[in-house]
Amino acid sequence: MHRRSGRLFGENRLGAPDPHLFLYDLREMGISRSVRLSRIVKTPDNFVKCALFICSSLTVFFVFLVIVFILSSSVPALKELGFKNVFFSTKWSPNVSAPLKGNYGILAFLNGTILTTIGALILGAPLGVGTAVFIDEYAPVWLKGLVFRGVEIIAGIPSVVIGWFGLTLLVPMIAEITNTSGYGMFAASLVLALMVVPTITTLSFEALQAVPEDIHDASVALGATRWQTVSRVLLPASLRGIAAAVILGMCRAIGETMAVQMVIGNARQLTFNPLTRTSTLTTRIVTDMGESHGVFRSALFAQGLVLLIFSAVLIIIVRAALKGRALSQ
Amino acid sequence: MRVDGVSVQCGFELMEKLECRLGVHNLSVYYDDFKALENINLLIPCKRITAFIGPSGCGKSTLLRCFNRMNDLVPGSYVEGSIFFDGTDIFSDNYDVTELRRKVGMVFQKPNPFPKTVYENVAYGPKIAGIKKKAVLDEIVERSLKRAALWDEVKDKLHSSALRLSGGQQQRLCIARALAVEPEIILLDEPCSALDPIATQRIEDLLVELAEKYTIIIVTHNMQQAARISHFTAFMMIEEHGDPGRIIEFGETSYIFTNPDNEKTERYITGRFG
Amino acid sequence: MNPKRADRIATVVFWSLSMTTLAALLVIIVRILSKGLLKALNPFFVFGKPEALKAGGGVLPMVVSTLYITVLTVVIAFPIALATAIYLAEYTRRESRLTRVIRLCIDTLASLPSIVFGLFGMSLFVIFLGWGYSLVAGAATLAVLSLPVIARSAEESIRSVPDTYREASYSLGASKWTTIRQVVLPSAFPGVITGTILAIGRIIGESAAVIYTAGLFVRKIPLNPLRTGAPLSAYIWYAQAEARIPDFRSVVDGGAALLLIIVLLVNFVARKLASYYREKKIAG
Repeated sequence: MHRRSGRLFGENRLGAPDPHLFLYDLREMGISRSVRLSRIVKTPDNFVKCALFICSSLTVFFVFLVIVFILSSSVPALKELGFKNVFFSTKWSPNVSAPLKGNYGILAFLNGTILTTIGALILGAPLGVGTAVFIDEYAPVWLKGLVFRGVEIIAGIPSVVIGWFGLTLLVPMIAEITNTSGYGMFAASLVLALMVVPTITTLSFEALQAVPEDIHDASVALGATRWQTVSRVLLPASLRGIAAAVILGMCRAIGETMAVQMVIGNARQLTFNPLTRTSTLTTRIVTDMGESHGVFRSALFAQGLVLLIFSAVLIIIVRAALKGRALSQ
Repeated sequence: MRVDGVSVQCGFELMEKLECRLGVHNLSVYYDDFKALENINLLIPCKRITAFIGPSGCGKSTLLRCFNRMNDLVPGSYVEGSIFFDGTDIFSDNYDVTELRRKVGMVFQKPNPFPKTVYENVAYGPKIAGIKKKAVLDEIVERSLKRAALWDEVKDKLHSSALRLSGGQQQRLCIARALAVEPEIILLDEPCSALDPIATQRIEDLLVELAEKYTIIIVTHNMQQAARISHFTAFMMIEEHGDPGRIIEFGETSYIFTNPDNEKTERYITGRFG
Repeated sequence: MNPKRADRIATVVFWSLSMTTLAALLVIIVRILSKGLLKALNPFFVFGKPEALKAGGGVLPMVVSTLYITVLTVVIAFPIALATAIYLAEYTRRESRLTRVIRLCIDTLASLPSIVFGLFGMSLFVIFLGWGYSLVAGAATLAVLSLPVIARSAEESIRSVPDTYREASYSLGASKWTTIRQVVLPSAFPGVITGTILAIGRIIGESAAVIYTAGLFVRKIPLNPLRTGAPLSAYIWYAQAEARIPDFRSVVDGGAALLLIIVLLVNFVARKLASYYREKKIAG
């Protein structure tokens, strides 16, 4: 029998590892001699995996269902009335008894949605981002948690409650001050501003938190004031996240229904005056759905379709801004 | 074959008497395109402590994790070559990984007890292996804790959270947890790196004791530790960043540490690099 | 401008912005509670039958509807959401195209306006499937709405379970599913439950998605889920919009206060539970 080195395996002074030496050993141990390539087989929990996969694909199925049902329900209006008469007309005069005789132009409400959203963001975005910066940078420790908790509480308040608050407090106040009815896009924007704050604050705060601590420290160590650090380091570094936060806030403002419905006045007219009664897409759907049928109802679904497209486009923008990072709300 | 006189005498004769049931043959491990280990050949002697030493990133842990196929969990990893355990290649297609992992226990770098009670932690393995009777479980828990030299310290708080134990106690609990499934081999991946010297001392004593019954493979950064407790030592290294890890030298610990064949081993042992 | 001065101005601005936010919250809560708390705590209101035309009605059927619809929603949505979360967190460590599609759909679903869910639920459940305005139609709609919310938070909790737990379990010979069931899910449980309770808060407050799926007004307590219900939030809107009952202001004040209290309570419980579990995990 061949005597081997004390350094049994691996490289020794003789040079490269000697597999023959080793094989010899294996045979001695009664081990078959085989050199093979094997890919590691995953533990077969395939049944469970399959079931879980089916459940998670339901989400895809639901999105598909939503699109199919909203689309198919709005087809009659687009077909019977024509694309142009729905999307590029400001005239909305439904005929309940003979739906086909009415006019169903949604442009006025589209205008309402866009203007109230802009208003909401003008008021709400500085509030939201400012609150986030405050929590991240300025707040004393005891106040951080309090403000954050407060923002979370705002997020939890049901929209009918905020609507009722707007209707009974804000609208009369606006009426008093401006000597109008008080209803309109201004009141809606005020209410919406409040409702987008939680979204914008939590997401902006997350973006600010993601900025590495050492960048912040480096700026401070160079003698920058707090505001210089915030404006030149923190905000630029978290710009994408904050933009995403504002866009998601926009999503929320566009889609908000009940609170706006309660304060906007629900008139079917195109207006640029923030103190005149008007409607948005969402409020028109809620206001008219109860008595609608036929093409009238279908025209309401067409507005739903517009909302669906809006939020789908916005979410794609947000995802691009965050480059696939998971969103969390 | 020209051999070094000293190593023939001692290294070889010792090995000859020892039973080896675990053998690595031409093993290479890949993570996607990255080759982490190349051409590893090794026999692990039974009921002895074998230590893997080497600079960080040399693939010690990767090699260790091959023995119970923990690398399966890393997406994109695959192996070439074989590890024979009692004559069967553990990488063969129908090999029962679950069974393998019951026979080859593992203790990790940082103590990682489950956020459950002490009792539940130890009973976890037997339970998933299908043991349901409380009396049997009780016995296993007690025996395992005793073997891990932890029983006296925790017998009054078996049903409080394992996370309340100290770091050293947690690590011994992890050893007890591994022992509870009656393994034949215990893998330890730098088990003391997160512990203070006193806790380390206790674990080392325990390992020496356990080596009477179990085959132990330990990865360690700490050369003194390897020298203190292990019977055999494998020195691993990578040539340059991005190269695969290789075994430079393997042999009886006393020889590796006093009279290494390889210059690289010697330099590492004497602390000149790595 | 002098940097010191700019800094002082900025500090004042940030303070006032966040204080405005807090003040707005305070004003809303004080206003709603001061107007409606007495009514909301009045047993004749909470446990009374609603009136269609007369004053003095209560909201018991609405409270029951809300409870009923919430339970149904969670029963439908929770298993699907949990399964989705487990799949995404445990089985797709590598992002494939498929999981990206699933994620995109979750994000899309989560950001759709609730009125769109309302329209969807109406055309699918109420009309197409012929369930009519019913609790089950409302619950199904709300389930689709809350599914992404629950799934996301559950996924996050599952992901935050340290890998060392999984490794330890695998090393003891546990299969993947055993590991998930015995180690991962119990550790993620507090987070999953907290997320679900927060979603419940949202379900209770939701109105736009239910008014044309579940219904707006009922006189009797709905027992059959295939019958029309009237969740409290929908009824509040209906009562103020129709203004048929002479005391609608006081009813809406009370209803709004009641709804606010319920939602705040639910959110409070969720947070308390989260911190309780966090402490328990450490202290045992």
